[in-house]
Amino acid sequence: MAVKRHILYILENDFRNFFRYKWWLVGLISMNLADLFIMAIVYNRMLNPEIAKQLKSYFDFFAPGLTVTGLFASAFMIGREVNMEKRREYHQYLLSLPMSRLELAFGRVLSGGLRGMMYMSPLLLTCFVFVGFPTLIQLLIILCVLSFLATGISGLSIATAVSTRSIDKFVTARGLIYYLLFFCSSVFYPFSLIEQLGREGKFPTFLVLFARINPLSNAADLIRSFLLGTPPFSPEMVFSVLVFSAVFTGVAAFAYIKLIERA
Amino acid sequence: MVIMRAIWFVSQIAFFGLIASRMVVVEDYFRYYVSGLSVMTLYSAAIFIGFDIYEEAEHGVFEYLLSLPVSRRQLVLGRSIGGGLRAFIYVGPLMCIALYVVGITNPLNFLVALFALFLFAFGVSGLSITLAVVIKSSDRFDILMGVLDALIVRLSTAMYPLSFVEEANPFYGWIANLNPVTYASELFRWGVGIESALSFKNPLLPLLGIVLFFSFFLFVGVVLYERTIEGGGWR
Repeated sequence: MAVKRHILYILENDFRNFFRYKWWLVGLISMNLADLFIMAIVYNRMLNPEIAKQLKSYFDFFAPGLTVTGLFASAFMIGREVNMEKRREYHQYLLSLPMSRLELAFGRVLSGGLRGMMYMSPLLLTCFVFVGFPTLIQLLIILCVLSFLATGISGLSIATAVSTRSIDKFVTARGLIYYLLFFCSSVFYPFSLIEQLGREGKFPTFLVLFARINPLSNAADLIRSFLLGTPPFSPEMVFSVLVFSAVFTGVAAFAYIKLIERA
Repeated sequence: MVIMRAIWFVSQIAFFGLIASRMVVVEDYFRYYVSGLSVMTLYSAAIFIGFDIYEEAEHGVFEYLLSLPVSRRQLVLGRSIGGGLRAFIYVGPLMCIALYVVGITNPLNFLVALFALFLFAFGVSGLSITLAVVIKSSDRFDILMGVLDALIVRLSTAMYPLSFVEEANPFYGWIANLNPVTYASELFRWGVGIESALSFKNPLLPLLGIVLFFSFFLFVGVVLYERTIEGGGWR
């Protein structure tokens, strides 16, 4: 019971902090909506006939991808806070709180994930309204997978934040992770195009493999499989996200406990 | 900020530009996109001067600047040109990468385009200074810049030709027609010789648009700066 209460305190604290970034959030929302209602609509008109046959509508294809990128960006925000706390030595105060290190670490990872889910919810709803609604079971699977993804992203972000000493190094690492995961995925374009470039030798094989196991690709394709029917659903999509989440939640909790005690 | 933008720029070229060029019908889309990307980066870098103004205000540097033996007009003109030049220095290496990728066919056209891009960067700095001085709240400025960045880039021809924007939505097309980012992107493409998907057949039109944009924001910036900063009016 006490464990649950302690984690709830951490969640409350992190949610309060989240709303301090309201201006940043408004900027992010407008960017996401502009991507969907301007960029996706224009790209819809530009699709080459072969891809148009495969995707039918770029807007429908992109809406699930956008939901996942929104989730990623908002769940990743916790890392910035953790990095700042470390630099300002605020973590000493957190370590002095009457709770175990594991509760503290788990609470931070969980709150980052929940904040991501909260930010993503309106985007997911927009996606449902414009693309179509899933069945109840499909909705539960989507929410469950996205929750795991958000927790994994939060873990990845915290692990990055505690292992970088300066804000510059954190920002650089974040940029690399952000853009590699965003652009080397099927969020913006179908995976078949990445595969095709790989076959032609214009894209290294390891990047093609990375795009396949990328949790953002799998989460976006999972939503597409339920809402659009393509690509077909495969358990690999769920498995990839679960492995990512398990690895990074574990790594983040371990790194957080070890590194902030040492800092 | 510089590193973050550089990573963004390179990954946009290496991933998005390369893959998206296979997805669309636009001829030579990879080169088209890389040119637009350079203009988007220049815009983002030039807009940053507004954030500096808030930082200066917070640290008391603003009063120091006002006490210098230069007129307000010279001050705002200097800030606009400084902001634009700074953006150019920052974007320079990235633009070299872009030029390596797209190539230059007519150096003379490119020089004209480069001159227009200078004016564009000064104009964007002027716009940023104008908004920073008018809004007076760093939070509101931050959000406005975020929204403006989202809209001004997407409602331009930086990423796609004007005909497709107009086809998607005539209102979007109308805005893209009046958007300075469109003018800068078109001139850059004309300068490097990507003429297949140019939206304006006559390069003088976007050049005129850039000159008007630059003059307007320089004028408005000077007037507002002079009117709002005296007696602590910028607070």
